[in-house]
Amino acid sequence: MADPSKPRAAFAPWDRREIPGIFSVDESAKRVGHYKWIEMKTFEVMGGWIATVPELDVKMRLGAHCYHHAWHAELWHKRLPELREMNQDRLTEPPNDELVAFVDAMTEPEAPETTIEKLVGVYRVLIPAKIAAYTYHRNNTSTITDAPTIRSLEFALKDEFEDWRDGEMILQSLIETPEEIERAAAHQVKLQKLMLAAGGITGPGSIGDAYASNQPQEAMA
Amino acid sequence: MRKAFPVEDLARDDRFSRVPITERMADPRTVGDRRTGGGGRLTPDRPDAPDAARALMHGIFVGEIQALEGAGRTCWDFEVGSGSTGGGAATKDDDTSVPFELKLDMARQCWDEARHCEISLKLGDWMGTEVGEFSENTFLYEAACNPDPILRLTGVNRALEGLAIDVFNTMKEFGDIAGDPMLEYCEDWMLADEVTHVKMGSDWLRRITADDPERLKTALEFQKVVDKLFSLGGFRGEDEDSPVRLARRFRELAGFADEEIDEIAEIAHEAKLENDARVAKLQAAQS
Repeated sequence: MADPSKPRAAFAPWDRREIPGIFSVDESAKRVGHYKWIEMKTFEVMGGWIATVPELDVKMRLGAHCYHHAWHAELWHKRLPELREMNQDRLTEPPNDELVAFVDAMTEPEAPETTIEKLVGVYRVLIPAKIAAYTYHRNNTSTITDAPTIRSLEFALKDEFEDWRDGEMILQSLIETPEEIERAAAHQVKLQKLMLAAGGITGPGSIGDAYASNQPQEAMA
Repeated sequence: MRKAFPVEDLARDDRFSRVPITERMADPRTVGDRRTGGGGRLTPDRPDAPDAARALMHGIFVGEIQALEGAGRTCWDFEVGSGSTGGGAATKDDDTSVPFELKLDMARQCWDEARHCEISLKLGDWMGTEVGEFSENTFLYEAACNPDPILRLTGVNRALEGLAIDVFNTMKEFGDIAGDPMLEYCEDWMLADEVTHVKMGSDWLRRITADDPERLKTALEFQKVVDKLFSLGGFRGEDEDSPVRLARRFRELAGFADEEIDEIAEIAHEAKLENDARVAKLQAAQS
């Protein structure tokens, strides 16, 4: 070992973490409140659907995934006071009425023959939107000041990716005819339009703005 | 999707066959059926042991499905609120709401019950039975349909999951005596989860009704009704010929006081006496 009294750099050469991030404390808290709201809606409907689906494997997967989203809601619930929001209920809200309309439409199917619609809503529309918003947040927030949020985002993303794969594979195994493909696609289009109107799970800006002319180039530069 | 999902609409595939509880218990392969040499503790030397153990395992499996469905419905059916009528900002309207953390516990229970379904399916294969070989009765889910969240919690987490503790302990002991480490191992793991679920129920019941003794009293009375139903005419109890015994040690771990366990034993004994009288009456009418 080298001389222990010899000064070392505080950040090792491989540690590329930086201070700048595009979210303020308040903005981060607002997004986290939206995350908690949508995770609650996700685990509640998954729990409710368990009794309504006849397929045994789907029943059991919904049971497991229900808990994943409840745990994410808990992570966000605990993060809110750390972001100066002491009344956790205040920010536990949807970003707009359009996302409420999306959730209402997604949670509508109940009949036992609508398993495809139930799964399409969660696994082909909602979870991809969550993965997108979480990834945007993780990649744009400060890796030093907002590290606790990043840690929770990483945990949530791991579940979301794995649950998406489970759900997608179940859907592929359920869809056996061209008519069922059309059913799944029609329901996806209906929900995707509602999600588009909402602008994503945190409203417009859920995944930033990809058009160069709208980029806040100077932000924290 | 509706709030409150009726038992008649529980979704199942074609393998499942739903029958009333009386018909289910009249299946001669059921543990405790005296016509096939049953009655008393389930032991491997009994002539009916293989069928009785498989029937019990299938019963556990369908019970786990219903427990999964019940916990899931609690996540959906109730809004988040204080869940208490006592003190603070809570209002009477809050009778129908539940705390956020209670919902999280129910979601956790969903995962546990889903794993119990998986374990039961694997054990069913191991023991040589398959889905649908025995019928299903939905009395467990019915206990999970109460519109009052506290009564539902008491019915499911204290009574139903309490019964699960007794059944799993019985099966664990059977696995031990029969020299079946796979059965013993699985039942021991599920038993650990069930103790957790009953403790959740005990803790939430006390917390939510802390300032509302009337509500606590109503919930405990409801539990007595469900416990009597779940005693299945002495099938579960502390009588010599009860196939499923009360697992006192595990119930204590789960937050039951000694006097509460004594009371369940008494309720089970009453249920047995009533059932014996009913059977005697039927036999007299037939002779």
